[in-house]
Amino acid sequence: MTIRVLNGQHDLSLDDALHLCRDLMEDTDFPTVKRWREAGGKVLGHFQVYFPEEIAHAAGLLPVKMRGAPIEARQAEARFGSYLCSILKTSLELALSGRVPLDMFVSHPICDAARNLAAVFGRNFSYPCQILYLPQNANSAHSAQYLRDEYARLKGEVEAVAGRAFSDDDLRASIGVFNENRALLHRLYAIKRDTPWLLSADEAYVLMAVGGLIPREEHNELLRGVIPQITARTAKPQDRIRVVFEGGFCEQPPLDLLRTIAQFCYVVDDDLLIGLRWIQQDVPLDGDPLYNLAEAYLENSSYSPVQHDLRKPKEKMLLQRLQAARADAAIITAAKMCEPGLDEQVAYSKALDEAHIPYFISEFEENMTSFDHMQIQLETFVENLLFA
Amino acid sequence: MTNQPATVAGLDVGSTYTKAVLLDRDNVIVGRALIKTGFKLGDAAERALTAALEQAGLQRDDVAYIATTGYGRFQVPFRNVNITDLTATARGARSLFPQTHTILDVGGQTMKASRLDENGKVRSFRLNDKCAAGTGAFLEKTARYMGFSTEEVGPLAATSKEAVAISGVCAVFAESEVINHLSQGSSPADIMHGSIASLVDRSLQLMKRVQIEREITLVGGILRFETMVRIISEKLGSGVNVPEGDMVQFAAALGAALLAWQRLNKVQAAGGLQAGLAEPLGALA
Repeated sequence: MTIRVLNGQHDLSLDDALHLCRDLMEDTDFPTVKRWREAGGKVLGHFQVYFPEEIAHAAGLLPVKMRGAPIEARQAEARFGSYLCSILKTSLELALSGRVPLDMFVSHPICDAARNLAAVFGRNFSYPCQILYLPQNANSAHSAQYLRDEYARLKGEVEAVAGRAFSDDDLRASIGVFNENRALLHRLYAIKRDTPWLLSADEAYVLMAVGGLIPREEHNELLRGVIPQITARTAKPQDRIRVVFEGGFCEQPPLDLLRTIAQFCYVVDDDLLIGLRWIQQDVPLDGDPLYNLAEAYLENSSYSPVQHDLRKPKEKMLLQRLQAARADAAIITAAKMCEPGLDEQVAYSKALDEAHIPYFISEFEENMTSFDHMQIQLETFVENLLFA
Repeated sequence: MTNQPATVAGLDVGSTYTKAVLLDRDNVIVGRALIKTGFKLGDAAERALTAALEQAGLQRDDVAYIATTGYGRFQVPFRNVNITDLTATARGARSLFPQTHTILDVGGQTMKASRLDENGKVRSFRLNDKCAAGTGAFLEKTARYMGFSTEEVGPLAATSKEAVAISGVCAVFAESEVINHLSQGSSPADIMHGSIASLVDRSLQLMKRVQIEREITLVGGILRFETMVRIISEKLGSGVNVPEGDMVQFAAALGAALLAWQRLNKVQAAGGLQAGLAEPLGALA
């Protein structure tokens, strides 16, 4: 069964595509997910940061990234302590309020709060709520095999929800779709890096993020259509500093915050929704596809404060990201109450100080609506660099 | 069109007026213009730049770099860089009065006080609330209630014999206060004088919060009213710097132009490698 949710809006002009993506990203009723379900499809919601969406895709489910939303967590507030981050509450609220109807939910033990999320979902919904145990020790020689087996366990759960089993070839076909998607996203980010005046931070974000809400085949069609239009833009370059934005791996900053930053900085790289771009190169299509996915997660991946891999010290990875993007400075943020993000700010600051790279530290919340204060601080930071 | 553009532009897109300053390599002002901003901020910047170019007898291609400031600074698509009002005004005020350490900038919609360090960088600043109270809009509305134009505010206040006490500076409630005073027989001149005195009280509060250091420089459209300058000076008990004539309105545009040269020189020295300058430097070749 092929379900399409963009209502035939595929061959769009760049402006129309951006408009569509912004609308979908800001629509807290998640119309694409509803369309999928109304057409008879089933939905797997997975919490941040990384999830092997290929497994859900191969079973015919729509993998939907549960990334919270700027909504009031009226029902979810009663189920969590006030000291927890917003994304946990609003992700549950999306389900409790019926905005995102699910057939399965998967969370990961990325932090103390998130590891309990599946259990909280499980107490509120009758559909399967699982924890995917990604390896805590990525450096163990057995971690790839362990993860492959964990994926196999998950595959069984997903197949039960889908009501059908899928073959290795089905999974390989799904990996192919996602390989193309990651390649297109990397191309989008290359444009941001090499010609940032052609694609602002908020534009790149909505084009990327909408992929977590629609079938990946449709996302690929959308990106294939808009990327040549972006490179054909004739926008005039401006004299701005190039920055890397760090801190958007889990809870997402409001789009207006990205717009604010984009007014006077070129955001040449970031970790926003890094799970969608976690795997850096194509996952091989030959051999055991589950093992290939597991190995790619461990050996061919990006970094985030919630993965602990001694081969990838986060501060070293950040410096590499800055260097690869030829950035002048870093914007180091964290969501309010995000322990992993706030913890990492310490290591990041130390490394940036030692490397004499200027940085700006801040916090955000998905529900924040006023950016004046941050804007004036950030502009002052930028002017200190421009007019030093 | 010359082969080597030797001019930069500073554009201050304010809420009421847009100002343009053209500076040559010797930091001499070769052209300037002031126009009403209106509702299309990008258009206002374009018109101000065009007017300044006409005054200087230059073409658009003669401008190597454009820096924008003011609340409409982001709305100018042809800018090279945007600069905060605080930084631009600090640079402009320092170039006009090198010993400036405290700046009061009162514009149509904002009031800002800032204190500078020895190098002219902003050490501390305070802005007015998010309403028009304490800004030029308050004086404009007060004048309008009494049937006077903005241009008549200064001459009107200058004829006052005694200021009427204005209890608040809310632009919305000012109307009823003005009507009350008029019905009690107060003259429009004394009411205008009182309104300015009220504005001064508010501005002094802001300046005190940044810790006043001398010399003090006053800029912004409202400071073209001599009554305002006189009352501030009296209340501070010391002299203040005020740019001559209408230059009081051009401090931020001038500062933006000076910073434009600084940035252009820096990038040229670096070989023009900054991606953002690819086009302007191309024009220089």
